[in-house]
Amino acid sequence: MSGELSKSFPRLAPLLALGALFVVAPLVLYASGSGYAFRVATTIGVFAILTVSANFITGTTGLLSLGHAAFYGVGAYTAALSATGFGWPFWVTLPFAGLVTALIGILLALPTMRLVSIHFAVATLGLGEIIHVTLLNWVDFTRGPMGIPAIPGIAIPGLFKASDVSNYFAVAVIAAITVFVIHRLTHSYYGNALRALREDDQCAETMGLDIVRLKIEVFAVSCFFAGVAGALWSHTTGYISPNDFRFNESILILAMIVVGGLGSIPGAIVGATLLLALPEVLRPIGDYRMIVVGSVMFLSILFLPRGIFGEVSALDLMRRQFGAAWRRDGRVGWR
Amino acid sequence: MSALLEIDAVTRRFGGLTAVDGFSGVVRRGERVGLIGPNGAGKTTLFNLISGFTPVSSGEIRFDARVMAGMKSFQIARLGVGRTFQNLRIFPNMTVFDNVSVGAIGAAGHSVWKALARNRSAAETVSAGTWAALERTGLTDLAGQLAANLSYGRRKYLEIARALALEPELLILDEPAAGLNDTETAELAGFVEGLNADGTTVLLVEHDMGFVMSLCQRVMVMASGRKIADGTPAEIGRDAQVLEAYLGTEEGT
Repeated sequence: MSGELSKSFPRLAPLLALGALFVVAPLVLYASGSGYAFRVATTIGVFAILTVSANFITGTTGLLSLGHAAFYGVGAYTAALSATGFGWPFWVTLPFAGLVTALIGILLALPTMRLVSIHFAVATLGLGEIIHVTLLNWVDFTRGPMGIPAIPGIAIPGLFKASDVSNYFAVAVIAAITVFVIHRLTHSYYGNALRALREDDQCAETMGLDIVRLKIEVFAVSCFFAGVAGALWSHTTGYISPNDFRFNESILILAMIVVGGLGSIPGAIVGATLLLALPEVLRPIGDYRMIVVGSVMFLSILFLPRGIFGEVSALDLMRRQFGAAWRRDGRVGWR
Repeated sequence: MSALLEIDAVTRRFGGLTAVDGFSGVVRRGERVGLIGPNGAGKTTLFNLISGFTPVSSGEIRFDARVMAGMKSFQIARLGVGRTFQNLRIFPNMTVFDNVSVGAIGAAGHSVWKALARNRSAAETVSAGTWAALERTGLTDLAGQLAANLSYGRRKYLEIARALALEPELLILDEPAAGLNDTETAELAGFVEGLNADGTTVLLVEHDMGFVMSLCQRVMVMASGRKIADGTPAEIGRDAQVLEAYLGTEEGT
């Protein structure tokens, strides 16, 4: 019965998700009558890209990265400098920032590829600090603590002008693409290889998995999207400074994915939304709101240690609803 | 019968300790070979050397006439060496299907581009290999269960299924009968015999003498890192050196 249902509506969940992202959410935001709501939604979108990409390396592959915000910063600066310096439009700076970040990520991460668990975490912590200090002190290139102002917004001359709404839709489109790509990698046989690497890397290698190659690929993909998120942040806020990309941000991203559910894509999105929307919703109660946010984090970990939307249920849902389920009878099988 | 695995004067030292000391031995294609010896004889170390977990200090291991020195363990696995572990090393937070698929992925190879493009033939190879291994081990109905929820006995078969999904020519089993009761041990012996009949060469370490002597066609005996005997179970049972290694010598005081 349920099998027949899922056959007749094979793409129901993706349609609902896209409808919510591109129709319902913009209407609700518009009805709230301010650009402010759109700006909050844009921030959530940027962080959703960050959490989904960080979750790919930390949740799915089990490599605890404490330097994600630094790679986000590399992307932000690459986009800001190429947009203000060369006058490149956002649709060039976005992929460019992603590629530069992936490249820098691979070069920096190569020596760490033999490291696991806490050793990898400390190595990425060090990389993050190196990047942050470089952004802060290479004044000739990055303008140091003054940051980079007047970064052009997201606009296509003749089509639409930069606005809170154009920012929202640009971030929504990129976030959807990010989720799509990470979904394909996470919910395919490739994702199984990554989870095996997380569970027991030595054993995974004995099963024929090239674990160094897997780690490099995961790092590259994760850094690419962190860089794209940084580029979006540059273009949507118009001003960046090294302070936006400190260790605190890496920890915030980590908190989001743990609260949402390590290894779960919907969990990463839920975590980012919850921890960013809650302080905004609770604004009326003033300074008490951060106590509430802290309590939500604490209690959710206490009562839902696997996250609000844990990996096991997320895998099941995503594989069935997003066309990646394995079947014994069908010739297509699991993919 | 041609030699599938040749171990040639292999030594492995850990600091001052020589765990494997000039061990030589051959496993021929299609054989069922047992490796026995007292605790600490170096059996598991020898398995780790064969599967590339640890490098040899000296000597040479050849699989299918290819020298395995310098190969990483994933390359050795892809050549056709599947193994299980003494202390079960399943992936507890993954389903039974996903556990077994890892072996099939190892055999087929993995590519980030193929996964992105949702390459159908690559996915179907993995899927078919996984289902085949699940069916051979009788785990088909448990495919959707989390591995952590399986009974101890089923986990043993899960580990074997994962190794079988590699489609190995040589299957290395490290104490497969440990922790099983008599009925389960007999069932396992029949199962391994079936695998062997289907063309998989088997090399196993086991402390359960009844299991080894009834299942294996040939037994190698190891003590203090050296091979002290090599022959049919009947020959091994009569060997004075083997009895000495297990029971100790009579010493006049």
